[in-house]
Amino acid sequence: MAGPPQSSNSENIESNIDAGLATLRAQFPARFNAAESEPSLREENAKLLGKKGELTAILKQLGAVAPEARKAIGERVNALKTEVEAAFQKRLATIEAAKRDAELNARPFDLTLPGRLAAPIGHAHPISIVRDEIVDIFARLGFQVHDGPEIELEDYNFTKLGFPPDHPATDMQDSFWTTSGHLLRTHTSNIQVRAMLSQKPPFAFIAPGAVYRRDDEDATHLPMFHQIEGFMVNERVTFAELRGVLTEFAERLYGRDTTIRFRPSYFPFVEPGAEVDVRCVFCKGGGCSICKQTGWIEILGAGMIHPAVFEHCGIDPEKYTGFAFGMGVERIAMLRYDIPDLRMLVENDPRFLVQF
Amino acid sequence: MKASFNWLRALVPTLPNDPREVAGRLARGGIEVETMRTFGDGAEKCIIARVTALRAHPARTGLRLVTVDLGAVGAIEVVCGAANVPDPGGLVVFAPLGTTLPAKGMTIGRREIGGIVSEGMLCSEAELGVSNESDGIIVLPAELAAPGARFIDAVPSAHDTIFELGVTPNRPDALGHIGLARDIAALSSIDWTPPPLKSALLAHGKQATSEVTVRIEDAEGCPHYAATIVEAVTIEPSPLWLQHRLTSLGIRPISNVVDMTNLMLMLYGHPLHAFDFDRVSDATIVVRRAREGERLTTLDGVERTLSTDDLVICDTKAPIALAGVMGGAASEVTSLTKRVLIECAYFDPRVIRRAARRHAIHSEGSHRFERGIDSGDTMRVLTDVTAGVVELTRGHAVPGATLVVAKEIRQPSVRLRNARISQLLGFDIPAAEVATSLRRLGFVKLSGDAESSTFVVPTFRPDVSREVDLIEEAVRLHGFDAIPRAMPTVLAIQGPPGRETFLRRVRDAAVTFGLYEALTYSFVSPEQLEAVGAPAPTVILKNPMNDQRSVMRTSLLPGLFESLSRARRHGERDVRLFSVGTLFGEAPAGQLPLETSHFSALLAGDRPSYLQHAEPVDAWDAKGLAIGMLAKLTKRSADVVTYTADKRPLYLHPRAAGEVRVDGVAVGRIGLLHPDVAAKFDVGNDTVVVELNLQTIADLPKKAERIAHLPKFPASTRDLALVLSDDIPAGDVLANIVASAGDLGESVSIFDRFVGKGIPADHASVAFRVVYRASNRTLTDAEIDARHAAVVAAAQSRFGAQLRS
Ligand SMILES: [Zn+2]
Repeated sequence: MAGPPQSSNSENIESNIDAGLATLRAQFPARFNAAESEPSLREENAKLLGKKGELTAILKQLGAVAPEARKAIGERVNALKTEVEAAFQKRLATIEAAKRDAELNARPFDLTLPGRLAAPIGHAHPISIVRDEIVDIFARLGFQVHDGPEIELEDYNFTKLGFPPDHPATDMQDSFWTTSGHLLRTHTSNIQVRAMLSQKPPFAFIAPGAVYRRDDEDATHLPMFHQIEGFMVNERVTFAELRGVLTEFAERLYGRDTTIRFRPSYFPFVEPGAEVDVRCVFCKGGGCSICKQTGWIEILGAGMIHPAVFEHCGIDPEKYTGFAFGMGVERIAMLRYDIPDLRMLVENDPRFLVQF
Repeated sequence: MKASFNWLRALVPTLPNDPREVAGRLARGGIEVETMRTFGDGAEKCIIARVTALRAHPARTGLRLVTVDLGAVGAIEVVCGAANVPDPGGLVVFAPLGTTLPAKGMTIGRREIGGIVSEGMLCSEAELGVSNESDGIIVLPAELAAPGARFIDAVPSAHDTIFELGVTPNRPDALGHIGLARDIAALSSIDWTPPPLKSALLAHGKQATSEVTVRIEDAEGCPHYAATIVEAVTIEPSPLWLQHRLTSLGIRPISNVVDMTNLMLMLYGHPLHAFDFDRVSDATIVVRRAREGERLTTLDGVERTLSTDDLVICDTKAPIALAGVMGGAASEVTSLTKRVLIECAYFDPRVIRRAARRHAIHSEGSHRFERGIDSGDTMRVLTDVTAGVVELTRGHAVPGATLVVAKEIRQPSVRLRNARISQLLGFDIPAAEVATSLRRLGFVKLSGDAESSTFVVPTFRPDVSREVDLIEEAVRLHGFDAIPRAMPTVLAIQGPPGRETFLRRVRDAAVTFGLYEALTYSFVSPEQLEAVGAPAPTVILKNPMNDQRSVMRTSLLPGLFESLSRARRHGERDVRLFSVGTLFGEAPAGQLPLETSHFSALLAGDRPSYLQHAEPVDAWDAKGLAIGMLAKLTKRSADVVTYTADKRPLYLHPRAAGEVRVDGVAVGRIGLLHPDVAAKFDVGNDTVVVELNLQTIADLPKKAERIAHLPKFPASTRDLALVLSDDIPAGDVLANIVASAGDLGESVSIFDRFVGKGIPADHASVAFRVVYRASNRTLTDAEIDARHAAVVAAAQSRFGAQLRS
């Protein structure tokens, strides 16, 4: 008695459900295809399959369906869900591909806008740059950096180096004196004395640092400037080796096509002494205003360490020989960068410094 | 030292007639030719003209029309304004059209003066560049040359090439033309001896002349003194050739006697002095040290107060010359002088140098004496100069000369071992070549064998006293160009890297942080140091350049502020500078001043920003820079601790000054510049600074360079935002959170700070991020939540902070 009408009601509902499913099946491809963006696609998907979606609404009738029929309906619903899900993914992939294509083909970024720096760009001083480069060359040749004080004893700055008191050679280096009777070193040759007094040969040192001479500040003089002194002491170090080392240095600093020449000169702490010129790097020797038409530019003073200096420092000049050389960093920087006035080096104008 | 090419060629006739070549040889021998110029530039085109007629200019008073005979060219009438145009028959010098006169910066063109056309000009010496001043046109002796002759053929001394030489202090012999001639001859492989004297060498001795008594009371200061007397002299201007020679060498012609002594100075490098003998009391010369406070008026008109270290030439009454430096005015040779005493002496170089420096006189004489003149040429020079004075003054010499030798100067002899040459030079110079070179330079070989030779050093080479000096002479003549290249076989053993490496790391780090490196002077003014609250300077310069650079710095800041101020004046607003340099501290007893390396930086103006409105730098930029630098240099995280009022450096702003510490060690400070200091240095108030003591940083104990192993278990992050009163330092809250997070807290950071809407006045919302992690397990949410709740509660109760949602 209770069966058939019940059953017939259940069947009605079942067919209602099937009709609903059929409607969904018929609609969803078009509805997905109508979605142009991922959010609208997802919205459409939620309308179809979401908790409050159309499928859920259809399935609300399922409670009224005979239990034995539910499984079959469930299978049909799952089949539909699978179809919808696949269509959703396909449409999603299409939309994403279109979006990617659109992004790739959109207007290029304006790379003429300034770059965003990780940190502002800093600049080393040209004197540091040149000094480091020179020190590095000699370091690779086996010279070791040696430090020394900027305020020095007269004995170490002059006397032990063979500048006797009241000798005109000291005119070449007019000194600043302190009220306690010391002087500001006039060269980094004081390191030579300090090294020889404290160490036994063999050694090869390079001594960079600030030096001071009582010259009025002008385009070619600063009362404080920088020097690099180098020296090597061993048994049988020769003048030819000095030439070899300085030639190597010049070639590494200015390029392999550089040549140098030695001219006899005088520094109290060397004998023989020489001034060393490099072939003008600007005119390659043809003559220009920078080399004053000579084709050569003086960059170094050099020579064999004077036996008197060895004696003053307790080294036997019969057993050991050595060479020494010195150069002004400012001069080399001035030539390299075409700096017209040395005072620019101490004015620290950012517009100058930013160029290094 | 100026040298005449013509004179050198007269001394060494086989030299090439090419000044450039001669200059090159001198330079290769170590005598640098700094410049080369033509004397009498402009004289070349001038010709000798004879005045044939003279008439007044019809329109211009003071001008005359002079007709001159130019020989083959014919005659020409020119306008002349000189008062000394000679009468017809007189010889003058004519510069034709187109003559360039560099001394006057003009080229002669056709000129019309008062309606009269003048094509050419009668010249003065100054116009030809052969004299510094002229009083009228050149008038030549009527028989000198025929009209039409070239002026420089008629007056050869009016044209020369002058070398400006850079003679090093060890080569006094090169301060005279004889010495230069010897060197250039040797460098040219020419056997050469000085030209013979024109007169016989003077006999000398104490009795050679009874006219003058010479007494040397200081044998150290004056080993030799010799004198001659010339009587019946006529003092007048020197002949043209002599005036030209001296002018070309930069010496002003004065009178025949003085000019002759100067000529000999330039020939021999031996300074001489002529006294008016009638002004020498009691005909007596005494060489002694001055008495303290004695006075002497020197030739330059300056009255000088002498000291006991000054060597003076005296008569029986008073000093009459500052020996070797400058003569006295009272005994000067004048147009009234009848008898002259000519002094030729050897003075001790150091004595002369001290006197010259004390009296701030640098004369041709002192320049040579202090370098050491030829101690062996006294009689030769005296003979030559006396003959010259006699000739020019038409006087006559008292026979003989007085020579007093108070101290013999011994000539060293030096042994040269043949083997030593290649040992020192790395290549060999044959012994025969060495011997020839040394002979040409005036060395006399005393003895020799297969291994070595011994040479006597000539008196004019006081710089030579050792074997190595002979080797230098040998290689100098051999040519430095011939030195081969070799590389040393053994180089030094390397030691540990020194300060240099560390300082370079500092500079590199600062550049990485976008700073510009500044180079600043080590000397500053005490006021500048005081203004930045730096320690008072202890290294004071005795002879500073000026008051602004009178002490050695104890802070790098004044130099940086000077640079900033200058940059601002140039319109550069945003400046980021640093400097690495030495500071100078008090010297420990008996030692040199303490030198320590420091780093200072300043940031001023706006912080670099990207496409947005820039904001001025502030104290946190300074803090960040300090921390960044120290992270790079020490691999450690530094702290900045606000100074208490009593410790704060006064140059920093009271609200923004902190001490920088690494592991509790104070290594520097940061802060905003105090406005008063900013005003003093003329820099903006928006300036922040960082100072680091690099010595302290370098001395920090080395940290073990080991990595922390990466965590194995995941972390969880919780944020909290607290509304904090501005009285509460965020760092205190952070420390509190770290403490309460305890063993589960891995790190705490501040990631946001907000002031504004919804936040009470004088408060800020500060957001903290706490990372929780255990090293041995994955933490559960429950564990973390419990700990975080405790963290929040602790912070809220400790600081009375509201939790911001
Ligand atoms: Zn050049």
